[in-house]
Amino acid sequence: MGPNRMINKEKRRNCICTLILIAAVLGICGFLEANKYSYSYAISIIERSMVYAVVAVSMNLVNGFTGLFSLGQAGFMALGAYVTAIFTIPVGQRPSVYYISGINPAIANIQLPIIVALILGGLVAAGVAALIGFPVLRLKSDYLAIATLGFAEIIRACIAAPQFDTITNGSYGLKSIPGFTNIFQPLALSVICIGLMVLLINSSFGRMFKAVREDEIAAEAMGINLFKTKELSFVISSFFAGVSGGMLAMFMRSIDSKTFQVALTYDILLIVVIGGIGSVTGSVIGAFIVTAGRELLRFFDEPLMLGGVQVPLFRPGFRMVIFSILLMIVVLFYRKGLMGTNEFSWNGIFDFFKHPFKKKSKKMEGKA
Amino acid sequence: MNDNTQNVLSMQNVIMQFGGVRAIDGLSLEVNKGEIVALIGPNGAGKTTAFNCITGIYTPTSGMVSFNGKNLKGISPDEITKLGIARTFQNIRLFSNLTVFDNVLIAKHLRAKDNVFTATLRLNLAEEKRMREETAQLLKEQGLYELKDEIASSLPYGLQRHLEIARALATQPELLLLDEPAAGMNPQETQELTDFIVKIRDQYKLSIFMIEHHMDLVMQISERIYVLNFGKLIAQGNPDEIQSNPEVIEAYLGGSEDA
Repeated sequence: MGPNRMINKEKRRNCICTLILIAAVLGICGFLEANKYSYSYAISIIERSMVYAVVAVSMNLVNGFTGLFSLGQAGFMALGAYVTAIFTIPVGQRPSVYYISGINPAIANIQLPIIVALILGGLVAAGVAALIGFPVLRLKSDYLAIATLGFAEIIRACIAAPQFDTITNGSYGLKSIPGFTNIFQPLALSVICIGLMVLLINSSFGRMFKAVREDEIAAEAMGINLFKTKELSFVISSFFAGVSGGMLAMFMRSIDSKTFQVALTYDILLIVVIGGIGSVTGSVIGAFIVTAGRELLRFFDEPLMLGGVQVPLFRPGFRMVIFSILLMIVVLFYRKGLMGTNEFSWNGIFDFFKHPFKKKSKKMEGKA
Repeated sequence: MNDNTQNVLSMQNVIMQFGGVRAIDGLSLEVNKGEIVALIGPNGAGKTTAFNCITGIYTPTSGMVSFNGKNLKGISPDEITKLGIARTFQNIRLFSNLTVFDNVLIAKHLRAKDNVFTATLRLNLAEEKRMREETAQLLKEQGLYELKDEIASSLPYGLQRHLEIARALATQPELLLLDEPAAGMNPQETQELTDFIVKIRDQYKLSIFMIEHHMDLVMQISERIYVLNFGKLIAQGNPDEIQSNPEVIEAYLGGSEDA
């Protein structure tokens, strides 16, 4: 059998596998949608995972592919979430949402379709990122992390400030945000967002991002403008963080500024690290593992009776101990995250099953 | 000396001061079209600093650097590369985790006409195809095509040097700056490199300005040599003149006052 036929055979096999996977995902979502009342818990975990997957990939774009250690994600999500919320809360319900200080007349009667509001949220986040980028992107590594973290907190503080009560409803938060009507909405949104980011990463601009990550001086000597490239990556990442923030608002249906504390950025950083810095599929898998793991471990929060004796450790909060231990194990044994910088590929999967203990074949390496 | 040939690069009275240290003190030199010119000098003489002044990494404290008659003052390194100056580095700076092909392909983006939207939505297929074809072409010319899917850092040292030069050539330069291209090479590899430099000069119609310590290589192919010591130009001329210059011999073998 010639090598060409082998490759064609592999291609066909991979194509079939991809179709089966898509059918399986749609099938599962369809099944959950049809029985949404009995599976509401599972649906909420999956929807949250989808939202986190988008923001994790956006964080990976900046941290993993451009090599900028930015921790501003929560701030940009907050902007996207608030913009989406403000423009989608039904006009009729606004008096009851802004019951303390009233609503600013400029925005009182503007209601946008959800898609438009999400894009607007992304654009606002991207615009703010563009402004922040000018001073911040001149910094490197840890300094950049601290500066972005600071700006994210400033954004959050501004949102919570009483001066903006008539727009953001200050510390009371926003509620009555229209949620997802079915599970296919967040699925479609996250597939589109992640798909666009994957296209970007594999384009000539994605290659420039990677060049900057690998060696700034060499990148510059190859005619790449460092600042423009970093700014571009930062702005695009913030756009998608904003969109995912809007999705989070739709998922939660009520938000306040505390939702977007630094802890949210850490959650997302955790997802990116667990999945593998520099791997899109890693971030997606990480989003599902971390979100689902946190919920499934709730078992440890409930009192457990063994042979009439109550096991002493099983009490509320214990699951976070277990969760943290699991994370430490992952980080210790998979130092580069579950996926490293590799991307998912059927060839990789089949090779793994053929030789489970062999080191990963060359085909999977260096695809990032 | 070559009055009727056009000079590609010229430095006039360039001074580069870091605090109290003058790394370069009044350096004037020129590289003419199609020439191979070498800059030599003991360690710490300011050779790499001179390169950094040319490529825009440093802005000279005073003096002028011009390329094809254009003053390079205030032009950023990436713009200078676009004007047609490419360089390699003393300690190899490849994009180590990327493939050989991607390393060269990235350099090709310099002259691409696309933007982030057309690139993301794949509306730039023609540009992308052109860049890939040119990259494949260049790699074939350089005999690196077989290695195109290898990760750059997995290549042996000599090939990494070669790849770095290939990547510099991908930016379609007029002037190529080589910073110690033969560093760490054995005599046989150095001889191959010597022939290689002459070959690429003729093939791509380049002017070459290089820093080098291997005197065999320098004396064999340089048309003119500049000698730098403590930031000052102490000699210039053709290889024979330099070899017999007492000041140069003193700088290299160590004078009486400093080691």
